[in-house]
Amino acid sequence: MGRFRLQVNGRRQVVDVPGDTPLLWVLREELGLTGPRYGCGVGACGACVSLIDGAAGRPCVRTVEDADGARVTTIEGLSEHGDHPVQRAWVDLDVAQCGYCQPGQIMTVVALLARVPDPSDAQIDEALRDNVCRCGTYPRIRSAVRRAASLVRGAS
Amino acid sequence: MTVSRRTFLGAALVVAVPVPALAGPAAGAGPAAGLTPNVFVRVDGRGRVVATVPRPDTGQGVRTMAAVLVAEELAVEVEDVTLEQAPGDTATYGSQAVANSTSSRQLATPLRTAAATARCLLIAAAAARWGVPAAACTARGGRVHHPGRRPLAYRDLVADAAALDPATVPVTLTPPERWRLIGRTRAGRSDARDIVTGRARYGAESAPRGSLIAVVARPPWIGAQVAAVDDGAARAVDGVVAVVRLAAPAAGQGGVAVVASSTAAALRGREALTVTWTGGTPAADSRAWLDELEAALPPAGSPVRPGGPGTAFPGAAADGGADPYLRRVYRMPLLAHAPMEPMNATAHVTADAVRVWAPVQDPGGLRTQLARSLALPEARIAVTPTLAGGAFGRRIEPDAVLEAIACSRAAGKPVSVRWTRDDDTRHDSYRPMSVHRLTAALDASGLPLTRTHEVVTWPLTVLPAFANPAVVRASGDHFPYTVPGDVSVALRPAPIRTGFWRAVYAGQFGYAEECFLSEIARHGGHDQVAFRRRLLPAGSRLHAVLDAAAAKAGPAPAGVACHLEYGSAIAVIADADPATRRVRRVTAAVDVGVPIHPSGVIAQVEGAILDAVSTVLGAQITVRDGAVVQSSFRDYAWARIGDCPDIDVIIVGSQAPIGGLGELAYPPAAAAIASALAGPEPVTGMPYGVPVG
Ligand code: FES
Ligand code: FES
Repeated sequence: MGRFRLQVNGRRQVVDVPGDTPLLWVLREELGLTGPRYGCGVGACGACVSLIDGAAGRPCVRTVEDADGARVTTIEGLSEHGDHPVQRAWVDLDVAQCGYCQPGQIMTVVALLARVPDPSDAQIDEALRDNVCRCGTYPRIRSAVRRAASLVRGAS
Repeated sequence: MTVSRRTFLGAALVVAVPVPALAGPAAGAGPAAGLTPNVFVRVDGRGRVVATVPRPDTGQGVRTMAAVLVAEELAVEVEDVTLEQAPGDTATYGSQAVANSTSSRQLATPLRTAAATARCLLIAAAAARWGVPAAACTARGGRVHHPGRRPLAYRDLVADAAALDPATVPVTLTPPERWRLIGRTRAGRSDARDIVTGRARYGAESAPRGSLIAVVARPPWIGAQVAAVDDGAARAVDGVVAVVRLAAPAAGQGGVAVVASSTAAALRGREALTVTWTGGTPAADSRAWLDELEAALPPAGSPVRPGGPGTAFPGAAADGGADPYLRRVYRMPLLAHAPMEPMNATAHVTADAVRVWAPVQDPGGLRTQLARSLALPEARIAVTPTLAGGAFGRRIEPDAVLEAIACSRAAGKPVSVRWTRDDDTRHDSYRPMSVHRLTAALDASGLPLTRTHEVVTWPLTVLPAFANPAVVRASGDHFPYTVPGDVSVALRPAPIRTGFWRAVYAGQFGYAEECFLSEIARHGGHDQVAFRRRLLPAGSRLHAVLDAAAAKAGPAPAGVACHLEYGSAIAVIADADPATRRVRRVTAAVDVGVPIHPSGVIAQVEGAILDAVSTVLGAQITVRDGAVVQSSFRDYAWARIGDCPDIDVIIVGSQAPIGGLGELAYPPAAAAIASALAGPEPVTGMPYGVPVG
């Protein structure tokens, strides 16, 4: 057991768990943040993607020990009312089918747009390469990323 | 008020019984009693329209469909409808199975009738209050209107409406020419906001507070059984509370469950187990299975003769006496369902009841099945279906639920069984392998005169009815063209668990048939679209969709395929670059009769096209040394966004009744994509261009 400090969605948290516990289970089961989904546990699907120190990270393959002191933003912390431009674009273009992969897709896109405000198709495909959507919502994800990018530009 | 169920469930149900005045989870809640004309719809004391959705949403959009239908008939907006998910209860809701693309076909009329009944009762109540004829009143925006009167809100009418005898109030459905929403709404998915905020609750999020978590050590090779367990080290892991032996089939697929206070502890406990396994088939190999299926094809004879045995083939003489025919063998792989949310289920077993929360495809059927296997009356069993992170046929099966029940019984607490992705990939009930030999006799111009389609495959182990070759044939054979011939199916014992996978056997049969047809057309120098038009019967619904897809896709397409099933018709045209194996563009035109929720219709077709891209480019399950090789999306090569072609989906209007859709697009999309990728080469199996099995 160890004590680990995290700043999650703007709040300081201290958790007492074994250091090798994947951050995903700390978020979901210790902190009750279930927006990051479990899809594979090995970093291969993207369902858990959250912002770790501002970049898209995969908490299923980060141990809490390794993440000690990190700033984490989960989908729950993205916006108070679900109206972040990426979320709005996702709703406007009716992206989701089952929706299970979408928090991870959205957080990956949030990180992408922070780096690249107007991504090309190739940059979109590259950023989302390891985010699987088993339902096949990719065509709408592409459109929604473009919509979100223009919403962000319009807002700034 | 009670009404005959037959009125509302229509032909889907044969027994007529009274409906409880209020059914569903929120029964009796709400302030005033409210208006509840039947099991599907109620208008509560605050005027809120509440629809009970009888079948689970697995991503196919049944909840949104229900909202559209109810909003239409109750003259409110889609987002005004509050949705409640029905618990498992076939006596009240009829079949609750998300299967065979039946939801829209079986539910649309009952849901519309339910909402229309409520509307007519509200109008009758307003008309009585005003002393005017009901025919002079209309419902709009949650209020009843009459020229010259102040509109009355539903909430002010529900008490009067609930007191009316529905038998005295004629119910009229809104006619199609007056539809505002059905087939027209631009509304998105009902649960969209919950999905994008992470609030949507799937299986894991629906477990009651304080549930323990279990993970299961599963057979390392097919059919292995537990011989011995040394669980000392596992029990010593901090947080582990129990180790439970699961005996198949009563407790699922069999194995050893580690029950703990957290997922991380359960996984550590599983790691620490020492299990000795016995039996099974440690040498099983999927390549060998496929070779065995191929070896079981009947001896290759001549193709069926157009005029019967002994008659000549037209064109044979011109061809120097040789029988002009084409023959091709197609080898089809194992496929896993791989829903994005891995299998899981939560159960709480107490002295007198069993409660289940799980993403399931048939909550009512599951409850009935549990009542039988647990020897409990259905009233003691509660099944709460959650949102499902995909299903694709996998969640018809109860294996995860049975595991959760066994674990909860042993632990005396609610237990949530979680499958890892590795478990989910390696312990699925796979789409069966199959081998198809197709033979066509051709006339002098290269048109097929007859066809022979010989299939050797496995039954579906999850449903005994599928041990019958006639049932397999009926599932697979939907050949829509006017080419006489024979289809024969031989079944060999399945060496691995097999189950329903989107489109079931039509996925294999339709792929082989349309790939073969493409080759015949190419062989005869025919245009793929014109060739199919010639072979379709006059009046087929496929003419219109084929024309629509061809008009959009442009001339001389390489990959073309049609499919007619579930009361719907579709044509798919694909464009691909064989050199880079890139699928550039897929155009689909679909006729589903009434496209209730257009965005949802398009989404289902897009999804099936991505399944086709995935399985044609390379996703397959293989077995070596008795075990499934793949373990996650890393090696079960599902399409990524970069593999996604540009997709156009055209909805073609028709006068046909509502058709099914969820599975329709998969077989033709796979065939069209493979044919486009193959270019001048023949397709010989799925995936295209890589060894199968
Ligand atoms: S669950 Fe983290 S990448 Fe799949
Ligand atoms: S929407 Fe179902 S996995 Fe992406």
